[in-house]
Amino acid sequence: MAISDFKLRNEGTYLGFIWYLLNPILLFIILLLIFQDRLGSGIESYGLYLLMGIIMFNFFQKTSLASTKSILNNASIIKSIKFQRKSIIISVVIQNILEHIFEIIIFTFVMVLYNQSPLGMIFYPLIFIVFIVFTYGVSLILASLTMYFHDIHNMWNFLLKLLWFATPIFYGFGGQTKLLIFNLINPLYYFIKLSRDIVIYNTMPPPHTIFITIGLALISLLIGIVVYDKLEKRFAEML
Amino acid sequence: MINNLIVENVSKRFIVGSRSEKSVLSKLHFFIFRREKKRYFWVLKNISFSVKPGEMIGIIGKNGSGKSTLIRTIAGIYSQDKGTIKVNGNIACLAGHNNGFKNRLTMKDNIHLVCSLYGLNPKDIGRYFTSIVEFSELRGYENTKLYKFSTGMMTRLSFSIMLHSIKKINPKVLLLDEVFSAGDLQFKLKCLDIIKQLLKKNVSILIVSHHLKTISYHCSRAILMDKGEIIKNDKTKKVLDWYLKKEKLTIDGKRIKK
Ligand SMILES: Nc1ncnc2c1ncn2[C@@H]1O[C@H](COP(=O)(O)OP(=O)(O)OP(=O)(O)O)[C@@H](O)[C@H]1O
Ligand SMILES: [Mg+2]
Repeated sequence: MAISDFKLRNEGTYLGFIWYLLNPILLFIILLLIFQDRLGSGIESYGLYLLMGIIMFNFFQKTSLASTKSILNNASIIKSIKFQRKSIIISVVIQNILEHIFEIIIFTFVMVLYNQSPLGMIFYPLIFIVFIVFTYGVSLILASLTMYFHDIHNMWNFLLKLLWFATPIFYGFGGQTKLLIFNLINPLYYFIKLSRDIVIYNTMPPPHTIFITIGLALISLLIGIVVYDKLEKRFAEML
Repeated sequence: MINNLIVENVSKRFIVGSRSEKSVLSKLHFFIFRREKKRYFWVLKNISFSVKPGEMIGIIGKNGSGKSTLIRTIAGIYSQDKGTIKVNGNIACLAGHNNGFKNRLTMKDNIHLVCSLYGLNPKDIGRYFTSIVEFSELRGYENTKLYKFSTGMMTRLSFSIMLHSIKKINPKVLLLDEVFSAGDLQFKLKCLDIIKQLLKKNVSILIVSHHLKTISYHCSRAILMDKGEIIKNDKTKKVLDWYLKKEKLTIDGKRIKK
């Protein structure tokens, strides 16, 4: 399923995966050029700080958005074969993991460019696994709700745009308490902060951040499964 | 003898009228103005019947009488609101010609996709692959995308995939919904031969078709549906005669002149 999805998306473009990478990389370069000396001036290794934020947000954004469409895109399969429909969403997640791996490789290169030892990356997979669980839960919720509300996709797209600006991806807090308070309820903030602390700055983050991320992941997974199980029964006839 | 399939008092309803309200914004609107209403439409009403091993049953009825819904409910694609469905083993289902195919993928990828959804592992798929292509007589189209296929070609492909995957699934019940509507006669006969072999192996088959002759030749029993209810469930000949008389038709599709 993941393979077929991948093929489908790459249809017609031989080097299709380059397109996935181009988007975050271009964004990275543009933001770096614009903000390096302004918003980023007070931040240590701003380039890495920025890139880490971009690729993690990118993973979350692409996976959750794609999952809102995934059930509708597979309508004919759902209507004609009985199978575990969760696998559709799992395949979306897997595909985005594959794409994220390319981004991680690029990130490691950039680390070397910044004269930083890429050793910190060893811990990244651990954080990423927790992040995957979190994203999967959110995707399950969104995918199930989309069956009942067709405009979830648009709404989520809009919310993600807001989230992109609200999360400290290309800036640091620098004493803006309102933003800080908002981000205390922003799950993405914890994941991104944790990765930056460990991978880029090689500091041990306060243990509560770790517990919060794991807790968030479990809660999202739990809600995702409950919502999905409740709504899944009528998927086929809503298509 | 034990029945292969027992359907007991199955009812199913669809929610209608909420189609245009399927957005968060309109839900909000309804919530504020308190005009939320759900209308139900019972597609299946108290359906009960059972199927013996090696029996082939034809399901007939007008468009919209609930035949496809019944098939999908038995297959587990839809869930019933009331009643129970008991199957003595696995179940396989083929509905229409577009068996979950993805038009933008090649035939090869579609075979892999659909087979894996049927529960075959990559090794089995590799083993059956040539045979699937051979049976559907679509050699040379392996790398063609499916939107370039004709309807009949898709029928061939989906039937071929289904016939091969049931070697692995070993179903006790096979559900066929209008599978012959697009395939040519030669292919249809080829499939019917295999179906006969399956019947000998005590598989039960439910077939929905508007081609009454096929039903009358091959089915021992027929079920006539109308508006979600079973009107007749009897020997094929009796059911067909009753139906044709009621509709004032002959089996060749001509009107009976007064
Ligand atoms: N997903 C759905 N939601 C709401 N109503 C539906 C849905 N699918 C089918 N219906 C309604 O259920 C009824 C039965 O449909 P069904 O597809 O089972 O008919 P059928 O007997 O297979 O007809 P045909 O001979 O045309 O294939 C129809 O009145 C149809 O409008
Ligand atoms: Mg039908």
